[in-house]
Amino acid sequence: MTSTHPTAQTLDIIKLNVRLANGRRLLRDVSLTLKPGEVRALVGESGAGKSMIGKAVLGILPNNLDISEGEIILEGAHLNAMTPSTRRKTVAKMSSLIPQDPLTALNPVRKIGPQITDPLIRIHGWSADRAMKRARDLLDRVHIRAPERVMASYPHELSGGMRQRILIAAAFAPSPRLIVADEPTTALDVTVQKQILKLIRELQRETGTAVLFVTHDMGVVAKISQQVTVLFAGRVMEDAPTQQVFEAPSHPYTQALIKATPTLNAVTKSFSPVPAELIAELHSDIAKIDAAYDAGDRA
Amino acid sequence: MADVLTKPFRRRATPMNLRLWLPLVWIAVVAAAALFAPFIAPHDPLAQDLMLERLPPAFMDGSEPGHWLGTDSLGRDVLSRMIYGARIALFVSLIAATATCIFGSTLGLIAGFYGGWPDRIISRLVDIWMAFPPVLFAVLLVAVMGTGLGSVIAAIALIDWTRFARVIRAETMVQARMDYVDSARIGGARRAATLVSEILPNVLPSIIALLMLEMGIAVIVEAILSFVNLSISSDDPTWGSMIAEGRGSIHFAWWVLLFPLITLFLTVLSFSTLGEGLKQHFDPVHK
Repeated sequence: MTSTHPTAQTLDIIKLNVRLANGRRLLRDVSLTLKPGEVRALVGESGAGKSMIGKAVLGILPNNLDISEGEIILEGAHLNAMTPSTRRKTVAKMSSLIPQDPLTALNPVRKIGPQITDPLIRIHGWSADRAMKRARDLLDRVHIRAPERVMASYPHELSGGMRQRILIAAAFAPSPRLIVADEPTTALDVTVQKQILKLIRELQRETGTAVLFVTHDMGVVAKISQQVTVLFAGRVMEDAPTQQVFEAPSHPYTQALIKATPTLNAVTKSFSPVPAELIAELHSDIAKIDAAYDAGDRA
Repeated sequence: MADVLTKPFRRRATPMNLRLWLPLVWIAVVAAAALFAPFIAPHDPLAQDLMLERLPPAFMDGSEPGHWLGTDSLGRDVLSRMIYGARIALFVSLIAATATCIFGSTLGLIAGFYGGWPDRIISRLVDIWMAFPPVLFAVLLVAVMGTGLGSVIAAIALIDWTRFARVIRAETMVQARMDYVDSARIGGARRAATLVSEILPNVLPSIIALLMLEMGIAVIVEAILSFVNLSISSDDPTWGSMIAEGRGSIHFAWWVLLFPLITLFLTVLSFSTLGEGLKQHFDPVHK
């Protein structure tokens, strides 16, 4: 597979549709791009399909879901046109994942070291020594104080924050072009969250890796991203530079989302969730779009 | 400080695990008896001596020296028959349980990992299988295939694979949903490879526990089939046939029944306790 794309994007998703086996669409014509070195935040409430986009790119959608339409172009390679085996290798070469839950993302019966070095040896063809050295360097970089000792440990011997730092090291170890960060701070307590966020941002800047950052936290969005994609029910509501989204959000849903974010000087004010009328209105819009889409399908 | 950082984590010294060691000792005793039966047994297990029938054990009045646990109604030495009986019991439990384990676990892993139609076929098969009364099923199978150890082993494997398939399927489903499986796939591992390299090691403690339990069950099933005379010829010393024989003389020669029964009980109990102990021992999280 050597098909290339004219633009120099790291990731280009064009009108991606994902659906359940019964035909129900969960992602509706999602398009987004990621330039090299850019951080794009994917925000939305739970069930909006933000994690699903990352999973579709990485090829780890659950069995009952499939990509029914659309293009995913990673570093010029059309992933959806590839055989499963080529796709797997391409994805492994170009990208990695910082998962949501550090407690389940490491295999409990295997030591940390091999879990970091496995892909380096398997996909990048490194020698075991070189992979070990790389793992050590990166663990050092994420402020793990005794890399050797940690690499010889089992996951349950380490704290949640430590495990998330290990996963960040593992994600950056193969020098990927793209990292999907799937709510990497959600499972951690607030003080650790800040640390982890800072680490991801630092490493991202040093390496120039593009990051697709999935989150529901507008505070995190403001800190880490240059671009924002706002999702609702599997549809892109707004796609704009971060600053613009916060200063002048154009879509009513984005406006409501930003209003619903508690800030330090606003905690005393009454909390304003996204209005139910707005949500109902959006849902009816989507029902119309789906009806039109299905009609087009049949035609 | 630097010193602290280079030392490996100190793994807590676990106190001696009796759940592990007591059953291991008993099983070692039985295994040794089985292996070295010809050297240990004081008498020929088949030798009859009608002059010495129903002799009581050595600690009772009227016992004969050399017959430590007494003799049965044909004057055969109870201890020697029990020692030779251990051979058959352990042989059957080892082969039958291993066969059952491999067959059932493989189906369970496939059903739990792939889901979809493989899961539907295997699960329905398990449901149908479990609707049969197992002992009746075993008796029927042996009646059809003919008596003998091979039939006993085949009957155990054919009946009990469902136990493995069901438990291992459920465990595999739980593990397959864990993020580390996805991580391995993103790291370039083939889907089938994650089953072997990521999931199997996590399910292995359960497989071992079940295997031990199954060894105990195999001992019981063999005894049941011997009891109803469907194992090997009733001359051959098996614990089940000894119990069957002792049943008739329980009121005046209780030792013929009781000693094999206690041995059977302890052996089965040891296997199931050992399974639980091993599971804890191998699971790094509970270590």
